Amino acid sequence: MTAAEEDSTTRPAGVAAGQGRIARLGVGGWLRWSWRQLTSMRTALILLFLLALASVPGSVLPQEGIDPAAVTQYYQSHPALAPVLNRLSLFSVFAAPWFAAIYILLFASLAGCVLPRTIKLVGSARQRPPRAPRNLARLPATASYTTGLTPGSALESAAALLGRRRFRLHAGEGWVSAEKGYLREVGNLLFHLALLALLFSVGLGGIFGYKANRLLIVGQGFANTPTALDVFRPGRLVGPGDLQPFSINLQNFRAQYVTSGPEADQPLTYNAGLSYQAQPGARARHYTLRVNHPLVVDGVSVYLIGHGYAPVVRVTDGTGTVRWDGPVPFIPVDQSTMTSEGVIKVPDAKPSQLGFAGVFLPSAVDVGGTLQSAFPSALNPRLSLIGFSGNLGMNSGQAQSVYQLDTQGLRQLPIAARPLAAGQSLRLPNGLGTVTYLGYQQWISMAITYDPGQLPALVAGFAALAGLILSFLVRRRRVFVRAVAAADGRTEVTVGGLARSDAAGGFESEFAELAQLLRAEQHGTFGTEPQTSGEPENGAREADTAAAGPDRHEVALTGPDGE
Amino acid sequence: MPINTAAADTSNGLLLSTVIIYAIAMLCYAFDFAFAKHRVLAGLNEPAEVAVSELVGAGAGGPTTIVAGKRPPADVTAGKPASRWPTGFWLRLAFLLTCVGVAVHVTAIFTRGIAEDRVPWGNMYEFIAAFTCMAVLVLVAASIWYRAYYMGVFVLVPIVFGLGIDLTVLYTPAGSLVPALQSYWIAIHVTAMIVAIGLFIFGVVVTTLYLIADRSHRRIAAGKPSSVAGILRHLPGPVVLDRLSYRSILFGFPVWTFGVMAGAIWADHAWGRYWGWDPKETWSFITWVVYAMFLHARATAGWRGRRAGWIQIAGFVCLMFNVIGVNLFITGLHSYAGM
Repeated sequence: MTAAEEDSTTRPAGVAAGQGRIARLGVGGWLRWSWRQLTSMRTALILLFLLALASVPGSVLPQEGIDPAAVTQYYQSHPALAPVLNRLSLFSVFAAPWFAAIYILLFASLAGCVLPRTIKLVGSARQRPPRAPRNLARLPATASYTTGLTPGSALESAAALLGRRRFRLHAGEGWVSAEKGYLREVGNLLFHLALLALLFSVGLGGIFGYKANRLLIVGQGFANTPTALDVFRPGRLVGPGDLQPFSINLQNFRAQYVTSGPEADQPLTYNAGLSYQAQPGARARHYTLRVNHPLVVDGVSVYLIGHGYAPVVRVTDGTGTVRWDGPVPFIPVDQSTMTSEGVIKVPDAKPSQLGFAGVFLPSAVDVGGTLQSAFPSALNPRLSLIGFSGNLGMNSGQAQSVYQLDTQGLRQLPIAARPLAAGQSLRLPNGLGTVTYLGYQQWISMAITYDPGQLPALVAGFAALAGLILSFLVRRRRVFVRAVAAADGRTEVTVGGLARSDAAGGFESEFAELAQLLRAEQHGTFGTEPQTSGEPENGAREADTAAAGPDRHEVALTGPDGE
Repeated sequence: MPINTAAADTSNGLLLSTVIIYAIAMLCYAFDFAFAKHRVLAGLNEPAEVAVSELVGAGAGGPTTIVAGKRPPADVTAGKPASRWPTGFWLRLAFLLTCVGVAVHVTAIFTRGIAEDRVPWGNMYEFIAAFTCMAVLVLVAASIWYRAYYMGVFVLVPIVFGLGIDLTVLYTPAGSLVPALQSYWIAIHVTAMIVAIGLFIFGVVVTTLYLIADRSHRRIAAGKPSSVAGILRHLPGPVVLDRLSYRSILFGFPVWTFGVMAGAIWADHAWGRYWGWDPKETWSFITWVVYAMFLHARATAGWRGRRAGWIQIAGFVCLMFNVIGVNLFITGLHSYAGM
């Protein structure tokens, strides 16, 4: 699995040739055949295709790990289809066994291709370039000239020049071979090995890291323990005692919005003033939490991901006892006006349990008889409540959302839907009590993540990029020089060259330059100007040795080695 | 930060001018194809072997302009091409207009940035304006470096079309950024994406031409008529087209890789995870995988050529779905980048 030109030689394109022999294969043969299949380029291509294809449903269907609420909604709107999709893991595509099967096979295929090549590269690092072919004129790029130097000194100066240009040399009787560009294979392997490292880094985060969410109202605080977190998704090997023991208090929160123009209501800034302690007893520090500016404490990152209003409500029951007095977080249903909805549950109220469904309008304005919020800031906050009495259903043993009211055992109270301003009360009928809207607080939601695989993943990512660029920039090429004494007493020098990996072209001009330099150094006169068998399209840069085909390169390469 | 409306209006006017200049340039490239005979007679520049085999199968219906046996002078000495500048009145005019157009285009984007006092790629309108500009810059660079002047008309058609849609349907008045986008990473991540998309656009246009040329050459070799042979006379052969498109992907793929990585780092800053399979992330991954397939296919016997070309087109379809489709049809964390 590589993006290199030489792949077609290092990795079989397919294993069609082996098919005739299958019948006669033993167990070992079958294993070898399977391994060859798995590590073949064709399989790698198919696995890459499957990986891309398998990702598509993850972007089209709601995903459990990204938006669980959307999955629930999908269940409601497609009651027949959803269980089938769920059985196929289509609501958690990227954690699905079949998705894992694809990428594990792909990485096995990659490892099976890359590791042997790494060993081969290490081996070739000690090898010298092959002997020069007998007839250099048959190479894709050739040039010849005559010089007054003796053959020996002509070769010597050629070797010196190529050596200065960092070619690896191998000299013999009447010839010099030079090769350069080993870094291409190094870059290619680095890229693929870095991808393996990236996969392991992601796995590392999944095992030793954790993710959590926490909603915090201004004036409140929490300590980083599993029970204090609203959502806690620990990695496989993370226990409750492994959490970093910091604590955070939210002191204030301020959101600014565009007040006029076409972008009115669009948020400009969110600032959450925090005080935090890295561990119990440590000095309290301040931090202004903003989007794109997470708080990093003890290796854990804390992010501002949401905000909203929490109306402060006091509920007095029929006996005159205050049963609820405090802020209740409401969920924004419209980001541009911050119209928010929430519920208040008062299970302790007597004589009967009370529940309220409310709408909070931060900037209430009268639009044709109904109140609406006109702006996300709390310029004219109003709270509208619908009261219920009866059984809240909280003792049924079933978990309930704090943001939803189960109205099955409840009876709606006949009270006028009169939006309350701060300080206003609503008297409930039948002596059930009073509810008072006292004002509002703001809340923020935070994502808390600890991912020890993050830094390794970053390093692996940049290593992959470096490898990629290296393998694209460097080309592997060989230059051969032969010198023979000619009849007129002069020496005839032939230069031949070929690029082993030059899919994007460019070797011809380098070869021409080298040939020119050699000739100039040896005061020669050209017999044949430097030329390449593939003629340039529109000039130098378009010349195309690839047209001759890599097979031809290989023949030329291996021929003189007697392979 | 208040919006400088004068600068914003200037930017709008300049972008409209850009489309008009591109459209005229496009026509001039087409006129060059229609009227200029010089390059057609200058001979085919294919590698000799290819040209000969073409000639053998060409027959009466084939292009008669292939100059048999005559190799163009080997001008490979010290990397000095014969002439890298355009020849002929219409081509010169077309290229001049392209250069003027791209200068106006850059100025339009620049003034938009001044109007908003930020990097001017914060929504789809600005993003499309930016990557179309990049695509034309790639065209200009390829024209000069590889003398790919023949690409002008083919690249400018989708550019004019895209910019036209951008100006009419997707237009968004100058404005400020939502807090999630207020980060220096927008300059890094989105810029990388713009550069990569510009290169990928150029690549896919060349590849489409390659597939057409390849099909035509095969038909001619098989003695069948080719309806596009007339236009193809103005283009180099499939081998050169294939290589040109490969080069643009060789540039674009690492830039795209870097862009995805920069996006991951930004996602980590903004949302608390570097990769979360958000639809945009998923599709950038799919795009990456398909372009990786292209690179591998092109290095594999039996896959290089037409198959690899089709894979690249599939990659580009994924890319366009990511740029436009994901914003329109799927809600995700990148939704604010919509219209």
